Parts: sequence; C-alpha cells; structure tokens
Amino acid sequence: MSNPQPRSAVLQGVQGRLDFRAVTKRYGPTVALSEFTHSFAPGQVHALMGKNGSGKSTLVKLLAGVTGPTSGVISVNGEDRHFTSPHDAFEAGIVTVHQELSLVPELSVGENIFLGRLPHRRRAGFSVVDWAGLHKRAGELLADMGLSIDSRQPVSALSVGQQQVVEIVKAMSFNPSILLLDEPTSALASREVKQLFALIERLRARGVTMIYITHRMSELFEIADTCTVIRDGHYIGSVAMKETTPSAIVGMMFGDAARATRPPRRALDPARPVLEVRNLSRSGHFQDVSFDLYPGEILGIAGLLGAGRTELMRAIFGADRIDGGTVTFDGRDMTGASPRDMRKAGLGYTPENRKEVGLVQSLSTADNLCMASLGPIANKGLISRRREQPFIRRQIADLHIKCGDPELPVSSLSGGNQQKVVIGKWLNRQPSVMFFDEPSRGVDVQAKSQIFDIIWQQAADGLASLFVSTELEEVLEVADRILVMHHGAVVAEVDPTKIDLTELYGLCMEGARQ
Amino acid sequence: MTLVSQTTEEGGQNTPLKFLKTYPMEIILAALVIFLILVAPGFASTANVLNVLRTVSMLGIIAFGMTAVIISGEIDLSVGAGAALAGCIVAWFADRFSGVFGDWGAVTVGFAVALLLGFMLGYLTGRFRQWFNVPTFITTLALFAALRGVANLITGGFPMSSFPIGFDFLGGGYLFGIPFPVYIFALTFAGMHFLMKYTSFGREVYAVGGNMEAARLSGIDIWKVKALTLGLTGALTAVSGTLIASQIGAGTGTTATGMELDVIAAVIIGGTSLFGGKGRIWGTLIGVLFLGCISNGMTLMNVSEYWQYVVRGGIILGAVLLNQVLERVR
Repeated sequence: MSNPQPRSAVLQGVQGRLDFRAVTKRYGPTVALSEFTHSFAPGQVHALMGKNGSGKSTLVKLLAGVTGPTSGVISVNGEDRHFTSPHDAFEAGIVTVHQELSLVPELSVGENIFLGRLPHRRRAGFSVVDWAGLHKRAGELLADMGLSIDSRQPVSALSVGQQQVVEIVKAMSFNPSILLLDEPTSALASREVKQLFALIERLRARGVTMIYITHRMSELFEIADTCTVIRDGHYIGSVAMKETTPSAIVGMMFGDAARATRPPRRALDPARPVLEVRNLSRSGHFQDVSFDLYPGEILGIAGLLGAGRTELMRAIFGADRIDGGTVTFDGRDMTGASPRDMRKAGLGYTPENRKEVGLVQSLSTADNLCMASLGPIANKGLISRRREQPFIRRQIADLHIKCGDPELPVSSLSGGNQQKVVIGKWLNRQPSVMFFDEPSRGVDVQAKSQIFDIIWQQAADGLASLFVSTELEEVLEVADRILVMHHGAVVAEVDPTKIDLTELYGLCMEGARQ
Repeated sequence: MTLVSQTTEEGGQNTPLKFLKTYPMEIILAALVIFLILVAPGFASTANVLNVLRTVSMLGIIAFGMTAVIISGEIDLSVGAGAALAGCIVAWFADRFSGVFGDWGAVTVGFAVALLLGFMLGYLTGRFRQWFNVPTFITTLALFAALRGVANLITGGFPMSSFPIGFDFLGGGYLFGIPFPVYIFALTFAGMHFLMKYTSFGREVYAVGGNMEAARLSGIDIWKVKALTLGLTGALTAVSGTLIASQIGAGTGTTATGMELDVIAAVIIGGTSLFGGKGRIWGTLIGVLFLGCISNGMTLMNVSEYWQYVVRGGIILGAVLLNQVLERVR
C-alpha cells in the first residue's frame, strides 16, 4: 500500500433518507406527477411499481436531477433540495443507474469506473494518468463488491450482466447514500440476475438506500423490502413485501383492469405447413435447426438469452446471412431471400428492440403503420393520406392503439403502444406468418395482455406465428407448441399443457431433461 | 411515454407563438424581404426580382434533389463540379459533333450524355456505399476533385463556346417575361414536392433516413432508395449545369465553384436535418430564396464580397441553431 491518498476506495456505509412532499410535475397542460408525498426509509430496497405512463419515469427524472418539480419539495437526509441539473442530485448523494448502459465499450473496466476523474501523478514535471493506481483502486472496489472481474479488460469483453454490475460499481464509487436502479435486470439472463441481486444484498447490508424500478413482479419478492405503487401520476400506496401478494400489487397498479385469459387451444391440420425449416445453420449462432409451422399455430421458442432464438428468426426473415439449410414458405423455396422477398411472400417480423429497429422514431404513428405496405396502399406508386387513412384507422381501432393524434411522432407513445404500432405495421400487409420477438419486453401488464389477445385473435383467423419471450411463463401461456433452444440447437419440443415452468426452465438451462 | 392528460385553458391561448414556431424561416424571409425593399436600392424593381429568381433557379434545381439525399441520410459534395462537367460535356458535343448530329442535335445528345452520366455517378455512389461501405461523403469528395479535373481535360482548360444560335435562351432567355430557368426551377420544385409527399418512393426516403435498420426490416430496399436519390440529384445537377453553361455562353471547368456549399446551406436553412429522416422540399425553397435575397441585397447595398462570405457563414450557423432551439421548445 504505497498509495498516499487518505481516502480508501472501499465503501463506507452511508444511510440516506428520502422524502417527497407534495411533489407535482407538469409538462404544459399534462400532469405527469401529482402531489406525490412519501418517505423512503433509509437502508432498504424500495421497489417502485407502476405501468407505463404512470409517472414512474418522471419520478426517476426528478430524482436524477434531469428535470425539476413544478411544485413541492424533495428532501434528502432531512435537507430540502432543489435539483436543477444531474450534478445537483449527485452532490446530494443520489446516483442513478439508468436502464441504458452508459459505459464506453472500448475502454477498460477501470477507466470506465473512473471516467472523467482519472487519478493523476507527476512524471518529469507533467501530470499524467496514474494507470497503476487506477487499476489498483478499481480492483479494490470490484473485490469489495465480491466480483472477480479484471479491471484491465475492455468493457466490450464482458457479458451484458457483468456490464450492468460494473455500472453499479461505478455508481457506488461515488459513495452515494441513495442509489436509483432503473430496470437493471431488463436485459439480463437469470444467472446474471442472481449475481446482480447478490450485489444489491451486499449494498443493503451496508445501509445504502435503493430505489428499484422493474417490470418483473417475481423480482420484487426476491429483493425488495417495500413496494410503492403509482398510477396515473398519483401515489396509490406503499406496502411491505412480507405482507403482500403479487395480485395485490397488480390490483394497486391497475385498479380494475381485466387480465387476459387464454382461448382454448385448437387442433391443427398437420397436412400443409406454411413454413418448413430444414437443417438451418448460421455459424457461431445456431446449427441444424429444423421445424414446421402450421397455419393458425403459435409456435413458442424458449431458451435463455444467447440460445440463438432471435438469430434464428432474423436468418429465416432474411435479415442475416445463413450458412446452410433450407427455408420453404408456402411450398416455395425461399432459402437466402431478402427481407423484401420474405415480406412479399407473406412474412412479418417484429424485432425484439422495437425502439432501435422496429420503428422510425422521427416519423409519425401513421407513417410507421404504413411503412411496410406502401406498395399495396399506393395506386401506381402514388400515395396520399386519404389512401392511407383506412389502413391507419383500422390498426388503431383493432389493436386499441392509444396515440391521440396519429400524425404525432411515434416516439411520444408508451412502450406498449409502440409495440402495437410495430405489429399493426405488419398486419396491414395481411401476412400469413408472423415472427414475434419479445413482443412484451418493457411493456406494462395491461398492454401485454392486449398484445397476447392480438396474437391469439390473429391465430384464430389462420395466422401462423413464431413467438419468442425471455419470460418462460409467457411462452407457456401463449404458445400451442414449444421448441426449446440451447446453445444454438433445438433440444426439445414440448407441449405447454404437459410441462410446468420449473421443468421448462430446467430444459432451457441444461439442454436436456434431468 | 404517455402522460396523464389534463385539459386546461392553456390549450389554444398562444396561437401567434405557435405560428412563430411552425413557420420560423418563412417569417424571417418575409422580414428580410421587407427590410431589403425599404433599405436596398432597386431591390423591388422587376428587373432585379427576375434577376434574383434566375440566380436562385440554378441553385434550387440541385437543392431540391439534395434535400432528398440529405433526408435519406447521405450527402453529395460533388454537385458544383458535376454542374461544371455537365456544361463542358454539352459544350464539347456542340464543338465536336455538330457535323454528325447537326447543331442542335449535338447539344441534345450532349445533354442526354451529361444527364445519364450525372445519374449514373450518383447512383453508383449509393451502390459504393452498399458494396464497399464507402461513405458518400468520401466518394463525393473524390468526385468533387475528379469531376472538375475531367471538365478541364475535356475543354483543355479554356472556355468552349461553340453553341448554336439561340442556345443562350435556355439559361438567359425570357418566356412570357419570366426567365426560362425559373420554369425549370418551378417544375423541379413541384416534381420533387410531389415525389417526396405523394409517392411510396418519397415515403421510403424518409423511413430510410430516419432509421435504416427499421426500414430494412420493414422490407424496404434501402440501398436502392439511397442510390436513386443520389442518381436523381446527379441528373438535376446536369440540368442546372447545362442552364449555367447556356447563361454564360460557354462550358468551362471553373464554373459553379463552391456551389455545393450554397446548395447544402439552402437545404439546411430550410430546416432539413443532416442526421436524416427530417426535412421538406418547401423548406428548401425558402432556404434557396433566402440565400438569393441575402446575397443580392448585400450586393445592392455595396457590402464587400468578403463580408458577404462572413454573413453567409453566420446565416448557416444561425439557421441550424434556430432549428435546434425550436426542436427543444416544440
């Protein structure tokens, strides 16, 4: 220990108390948060729940200092604060780990942790970066959190889960009293979630107050001490996790919203598959995949993150190259076709990351809804809003898209409604096969059940679907038949009525029945 | 995310402010015109107005194509050199082939060649991006240098002016009292406006520029769309280059120097985003008129040429700043 700096990198336990008093936030005429009053007790993990558009994101923005409240007071450790910038929130001891990772992939783990405040030392009269000291301190921090990550390797070499953990270590290196975690598990596989929870447990033991935002109900009961629910910008209530149930929380979140119930499964005609995939391979992603898909069938693909589910769908759709095997669509060989060819043949694809590649955010809801069917809508290449109107109206009505004015940018819609726009874009082409990749990701429970209803409804009308979701219970609920993928290969075909969640999870993990 | 909506009386209160936000450049252009009418001697005279219109026509014909290119998320730096080359090709054909095709025949063939070459160069620039992942910025920068060289090689470095009698009408003549290029300018405006707004191709240009991957996964042939917008701009550049050659009465390798900057400036002043996906042909019309009025006004007011450059630079930056600020308050 030759480092003369008095401040150890190792964390001290700091307790933080957080009080909201009648905090209101308006955006013009809309009220995003109304008279929110609540005290978050120190040293606990507080879950914050609410469906999309409930004001949850606004609360996060207020705490992170991204925006200031219209009225009301936020106080930290008994001291009233008025944040006008993220820096103010920082000064008050609140650090936010945002949903999107903010690490620089090319830089090392250590450099990312100390980005913007790299330690320096004198060398021949110049102040240079003290790399040895930096990695020493980063190493101490990582070890202190119980992590065995080399601080010298680039962040790009880490898994998404490890990156998320590094993000939290970076946040903790500021020694905050309050840590805000915005959907930290949304992109993580189950094993990585465990690692993350171990870290959260460790921080709680030190007395760090955490505000935890998630869409996954099961996580609350595993990690949170209390759960605070907001709905339509209003504080609904706060409960201790020990004294509540998932359905009670759902009740608080939705008031009296109905839950989707599955229509009965129907027998299918196995004579004429609409899609036949034989020995399809893409090196490094999946190998030797074969299956048939029948009209009116919903075929689920279960598997852990990285099992090759998305890669398989993208390759069949023609978005990625394939190395071997054949794809037959409606009896026609479509091996190596482009997305354009597949679209023409009657295939639609809603990608997992709808914000990045499913929609053109700068365009309106109306434009996005018509984007895949400009050809059929147009008359000799000519198009006008009048011609498009029926296509826009029909999807907005059929899919219950809440968009106000369809001419406004699609970016103003909530996640669930954006997802419906992506689906509507394809339904406008009246496809015979749809690939749904994670259609429920980042979507609230109500929108989720609406989306499942749409899929079931379309299946009843004869649409064949591939359905992928990280949430295995969703695959069990939605699909008529399930293929299990493991390390890029289909390892099992199961009947969702004859398997339970634990068994399916085991199959996904191990690749074989135990 | 959707916010909880609560109707208050704020809704329709600030209509004049909303007007300001929606039509900022239109208002600024109107203010500029009024200012110049009052201050610049002879600005409002018929002869001067027609002169301004003739000048902006050459610029505008290309700028409408450039708008589509920029909306599609690409850029074309070669239009100035391309215009010079097109003029030289027409002049060269008039000089060499009038014996074969006749005076007007040679000019027509020359124009057809320039048009096709312009289209092909643009189209291939787009395909280069697809095949070799060469950014259009680089390809067109290379063309910017090379095309001017080719133009000078064709003409041997001297103006070529063996045009047939009456050829000067295209760039310098009047039809019903209005300069002929203005008709081409108006036609191009109407055509491009229609193309971008009322055809599926135009819609695809916006989609491709707004999010290339989303457009691709929607089954849009993104490379074809980009290549066609670039090709279209190349062809329009040939049209403008021919008009310029007609106006000055010669094809030379040194015309239209720096024109690419004015063209891009007009598009940007018109509110088109260099990031792609956003912009309007109408905005470019305003941008082109604005640039034309400003430089004409400054000339009339005897502002030195050097100051004119400084002012133009300031206007480009100011227009972008204004758009960014408006983006935030909208």
